[in-house]
Amino acid sequence: MFRKITLAASVATMALMAAPQAQAEDSIAVIVKATTSEYWQIVFKGAEAAGKVLGVKVEELGTPKDDAAGQIAVLEAAAGKKPAAIVISPTVAEALGDPIAAVTKAGIPVIMIDSGAKTDQFASFLTTDNVAGGKAAADAMAACIKERTGKVAGKVAFITAMAGHESLDSRDKGFKDGVAAYPDLKLLGNRVANNEEAEGTSLTADMLTKDSDLAGIFADNAQMGTGSGASIAEKKLGAKLCLVAFDADKGEVEHLNDGSIYALILQDPYMMGYAGVFDGYAASKGVRLPKNVDTGVGAVTKANMSDPKYAGLMDPTKYKTAPFTGN
Amino acid sequence: MKNFSLGVQFHRLPVETYVVAFTVVLWIILTFTAPNFLTADNIANMMRSVSFSGIIAIGVLCTIIIAGIDLSVGSVAAFCGVIVAQLLSHGYGIPLSVFLTMCVGILVGAMNAAGVGKLGIPAFVVTLAGLRVYRGFALLAAGGMTVGGLPPEIKDFARGSVLGIPNLFLTMIVVAIVIHYVLTYTRTGRYLYAIGSNKEAAQRQGIPVFRMTMVAYVLSAALATLAGILLVSRLSVASPSMADGYELQAIAASVVGGASLFGGRGTVLGAVAGAILFTTMSNAAVLLNIESFWEMVMEGLLIALVVYLDNLQKKRLSGL
Repeated sequence: MFRKITLAASVATMALMAAPQAQAEDSIAVIVKATTSEYWQIVFKGAEAAGKVLGVKVEELGTPKDDAAGQIAVLEAAAGKKPAAIVISPTVAEALGDPIAAVTKAGIPVIMIDSGAKTDQFASFLTTDNVAGGKAAADAMAACIKERTGKVAGKVAFITAMAGHESLDSRDKGFKDGVAAYPDLKLLGNRVANNEEAEGTSLTADMLTKDSDLAGIFADNAQMGTGSGASIAEKKLGAKLCLVAFDADKGEVEHLNDGSIYALILQDPYMMGYAGVFDGYAASKGVRLPKNVDTGVGAVTKANMSDPKYAGLMDPTKYKTAPFTGN
Repeated sequence: MKNFSLGVQFHRLPVETYVVAFTVVLWIILTFTAPNFLTADNIANMMRSVSFSGIIAIGVLCTIIIAGIDLSVGSVAAFCGVIVAQLLSHGYGIPLSVFLTMCVGILVGAMNAAGVGKLGIPAFVVTLAGLRVYRGFALLAAGGMTVGGLPPEIKDFARGSVLGIPNLFLTMIVVAIVIHYVLTYTRTGRYLYAIGSNKEAAQRQGIPVFRMTMVAYVLSAALATLAGILLVSRLSVASPSMADGYELQAIAASVVGGASLFGGRGTVLGAVAGAILFTTMSNAAVLLNIESFWEMVMEGLLIALVVYLDNLQKKRLSGL
């Protein structure tokens, strides 16, 4: 009886091994900055979808929260398993540069997504241009103010989700540059939070107490967007204040729907994961890739939120990678 | 009104003396320096903000009184917030969803108490583990994403008010009155202080130490759960990352309010006043345009200063 099972099992194993998918052992490691964030979960969803299409195993790795030392350890462990390629979003550009170069030197192609590292030893880099995103936020805010008052004038401010994060700093820089292009917009400054939603809510309320004539607020990530949107909804100021926020989690989309948020600046994390895995696979087969790829940002408002091209960006379950629809 | 009731306590309970004095002085200064401070709108803002830290601080206070601690409250608030949102978005209705979520919260508290009281693991370690475990559960229950699609009634609660006083603040006041009553006028309250002052003596007098440990940790977790539900109501979604760091805010509020981390000392009024003081400070930082980084420094220094003054007074009292 036991021998029979063993025999059957070994026959099955041999049959599997002889099957045409000889590269079944191909795996691609996807290493994100913070597994606890919705944004990176969407990256994973895109990566999984690509893995299914390609028939490769996608390993979803990362540290629970931004932790450069932890991420280096994860990267080294992943490289030790000799995957076909590694897709990584470096937490700290300086710290991850050398480890990524070492992986490349070991013959494993590295695709960087979202954020860069200080090295030129990588196969390709797919990212949102955060400065452009910040600028798009300033433009959306200006459009909103113009729509409501007839002219682009007034006081604006922004909320930084946390201090010392390269991507947030770039968004803020883009926003400041963007506002500077409108001579009658006066930038009052910013408040720095601790990346907790309710803090965004009270900060927004307090900023509006200080300057009740504030025309616009920019919230530079999803947590702050949700929190800030809740405050505007609470005060029913959606028709007066132009709130523009980065990303599109469920809270932000809800507040876009109820009119508390005027515009959301959308990135394409799903495509970063999806294209990252595809590119990693291609690189492992010797395809030369472009060094830098911009995955794009777009501003969605209540007026254009039903446009099918935004559906997948606001709800990853609706993301469609086919058929090809052009750029 | 708030001012008045705290003023009465000023003479009777010296534990809160400093926190109340600081808060009142700060209010007076702000009334003159920040033009929009003393407006109905701003006061309503502060009332809404303080309710979360206030409710959680009252719960944590119960554990501090028995010389314990609860570091898991922020994660429990997030975990239970996600649970209530998942139940609501699956159409379970508000009463049932809230009831089931409160049951989960109470269970969490009972497990913390079992870890401390039965297994004899230090409370710091048990609840530090809880801080990680329940944050992980929050993420698992939410699938790493924000949970939305809640019925409008749940959002209306946080936005509503009675006679101009926000519902959130009224909830905190009800919690404060109930726990104040329990701690001050019931045998359970006296037992809790007795255990915190001298556990062995309490045990020898026949005080049911484990049962009281259970009371303290269940109260703490249940109030964190309540705060989590209210947070969902205010944000209109549940995010697994919400309420991050609330445990430290709650401990700071209790300690500034006169609670001793060695146990046996601390009041609900002190904890609430401490929470109000911190909310006032962050409100003031925005109104006076003080840089966020300086605000952190000032809050830290304030904790040290108030506790130092409090200790000075305690020494003086024991010297007499």
